[in-house]
Amino acid sequence: MTTISSPSIQHLTPSTTTATTTTGDPTPSTTTTADGFQFPPIYSFPPFFTLQPNAQTRTSQLTSWSTLIQSYCRAHHLFALSLIDALPTPLFTNAQLARKLSLRDARTVLSWMCTPEGGNRAEWITAGGGKAAKGGQGQEGEGSAVCWIYWRRPEEWAVAVEEWVERTGQRGTVLTLYELTESDATRREEFYGMDMELLQKSLQVCVKRGKAQIFGAEGSEGVKFF
Amino acid sequence: MFLHQLDLTTALRPSLLPEETLLFVQDAVGLYEGKFKIPQYQNGQAYLTSHRACYVDHNEPRKNSVAIFLKDVEKPEFYAGFLKSSAKITLYPKPSKRLSRGPPAASGNTSITPERRGSPAPPSAPPLSATWVCPICSFSNPVPSNFDPATANARTPLPPCLACGIKPPLVHVVKAAIAAIANRPTPQVPPKDDKNGLFASTSAVGGAFGSSLSCPRCTFQNHPSLSTCEMCGASLVPAADRRLGFAQDIGRADSPGPSLNSPLQDETIECIKFSFRGGGEKIFYERLRNALVQRKWLLQSAPPIPKPRPPSSTFDDSYSTMSDTPSDPERNKVVGIAGLERRGLEQRKNNEAMIGSAFEDLEALMTSAKEIIALAEQFASQANLGSNGSSEASALASQSASALGLVTTKDMLGSGSESLYVSELSRNLAEWLTDDTRGILRREGGIMTLVDLWAVFNRARGGVELVSPADFEKAARMWDKLKLPVRLRQFKSGLLVVQGRDRTDEKTIGSLLAWLRDMHNESPATEVAWDWRTYGRGVTAQETAERFGWSVGVATEELEMAEEAGALCREQGLDGLRFWENWLVIQDHDHLVE
Repeated sequence: MTTISSPSIQHLTPSTTTATTTTGDPTPSTTTTADGFQFPPIYSFPPFFTLQPNAQTRTSQLTSWSTLIQSYCRAHHLFALSLIDALPTPLFTNAQLARKLSLRDARTVLSWMCTPEGGNRAEWITAGGGKAAKGGQGQEGEGSAVCWIYWRRPEEWAVAVEEWVERTGQRGTVLTLYELTESDATRREEFYGMDMELLQKSLQVCVKRGKAQIFGAEGSEGVKFF
Repeated sequence: MFLHQLDLTTALRPSLLPEETLLFVQDAVGLYEGKFKIPQYQNGQAYLTSHRACYVDHNEPRKNSVAIFLKDVEKPEFYAGFLKSSAKITLYPKPSKRLSRGPPAASGNTSITPERRGSPAPPSAPPLSATWVCPICSFSNPVPSNFDPATANARTPLPPCLACGIKPPLVHVVKAAIAAIANRPTPQVPPKDDKNGLFASTSAVGGAFGSSLSCPRCTFQNHPSLSTCEMCGASLVPAADRRLGFAQDIGRADSPGPSLNSPLQDETIECIKFSFRGGGEKIFYERLRNALVQRKWLLQSAPPIPKPRPPSSTFDDSYSTMSDTPSDPERNKVVGIAGLERRGLEQRKNNEAMIGSAFEDLEALMTSAKEIIALAEQFASQANLGSNGSSEASALASQSASALGLVTTKDMLGSGSESLYVSELSRNLAEWLTDDTRGILRREGGIMTLVDLWAVFNRARGGVELVSPADFEKAARMWDKLKLPVRLRQFKSGLLVVQGRDRTDEKTIGSLLAWLRDMHNESPATEVAWDWRTYGRGVTAQETAERFGWSVGVATEELEMAEEAGALCREQGLDGLRFWENWLVIQDHDHLVE
């Protein structure tokens, strides 16, 4: 899985960043929310809120949506989206245009993001909290309403945490998971405030690679990087 | 000149002369001259019209098509066929004509007809072809082949000038036609001989036999206007032909009927046979005989219904018409409302007289049928106008009802073959659609649904010989195969539409996009939230239909076609479906470029 998806990550990461830089362009049509997030110009194009039937246009549209959702979540430091809660937010509703993405379409967008075609940039969180099967999340996800938005994939998070440990010279030290996400030391890192479940997912990647080890009981785990 | 060149329409059917009607069509027909097959004229369709019997070749219709004027036919003969020999109809030409100005109906027309099949002697064409010079633009137009100066009158339909489209005064054309006849060297001497004499004189300058023709068999020097040797009776023509026209003969070196190329066609063609390999000869023969009896070509030059007031003005023969002004001078004097009223009064009187005389007895009705029909149609259109409920389609239908000259009907086609009927119908439809004077397609914005077309077409047929929807669709599907200038297109939803062949999807998309791009420059009627300078605005199918003159159904299909092609994208809003330029893809593209 990791080896397959890593090239696509390499490919998609730059495009994510360019999308953010594009939003910085002083375009009069660009919508800016109160907290300073600048929407891409396409956000003020009314047909953007109607899912297109033409396959090619639709792919292009879904890619734009995926890019928008990722950059929005990155800017607002969101790791998961609850569909019902997010629908009225500016992400899916353009108040200025009086256009919004319907619930069904928003679900389609997120489901598409879950597929390999959409770069596996999202994953539905199943009720049991377990790991959802990669296959038909679309159907599986119909019932659930919350989904991870992987503006960094777990593999990428693993690399980021590892890099931070390396940078701060804490190899060999045991760090609590709480420490990783909530302490002042990581305040300036992207994974600050990360959902515990997602962090565990990411650290599992490190464990599989043999770069780290997780100790402790449920709720108070520690991790040691080699 | 028994065989004439045939003008074909866009759909490769014979283009009919005014007043000419199609009687019968039969495929798989070959031509014989005398006993011999004429090469390259062996597989085609025979069209029998009220004026002509035409052959249109299947493979090379533009090249190998001939017409025989029925007025030149002495008599037809029927041969029922025997064993492998297929049924044939033989047309014997009338014996060489008398003076070209003689009995007008029989021979007058041919003397000024410029067309010659295959035109073996190009130099002979100029003196023969009568042209009239347009008084407005000075363009030289050919005098119509069926125009006869001796019998022409104010009622004779005249074609407008080919360059400027203005109808010439009758006198003008009559003068031109007469001048053309007068310019012919000697009406009796066939033109090819003329040329041959010239050839001989140049070859033997100063010789005693400069203007004589040497017999190939006995070498007797004959007078150039003779076609056979005075001494031995050998034909003088083939020799001359071989020398002069061998270039044209290369293709048919093995032709069993060399006399076909002879310049003396009037004399040398004994007869032309139509060989019916696919049946249909009986009906053809029957209708041919009827046509020969009816002699519709005479109708055209028939005197019109007598007018009560100036009894002789339109009865004048061509010479006095020439000296007179074409219309009576009195009429021109009264102008204004009084003039209009007076004209109306005259018209009514004339109509009265016409109806009165027409119904006196059946014979009179037959002779004045043309006028009565025209009058009836006029009344019908007036009644329609009065009822005020005439939609555009019904106006269109009534307009074209009379103009629909070429009707293909099932009983007009021989051998009962369904495919011939369908292909003829297909050509018929294509012609009807592309006819610029009616502009059916143009009125509908260049595209119309097959159902609409079916309705209009059947209405134009005036309620007789209606076409069944199944046949109609089959005919429409034949367009591609027959390479006709219209095409049938099926939209994604299954809707069938008819449009010109030159109208492609690319052109449609281009015009749609150009329209949408224009909207970047004009501010929308109402305040909009998005940046219309960048995105323009969305259009509904309704707006598109109005803009391009399409029906809403067609507009929807065209928009969806453009969406399918990726040029447009849709927006499902509260006020319905709108289509936009596809910025979704363009945007993405920009991203990739950056």
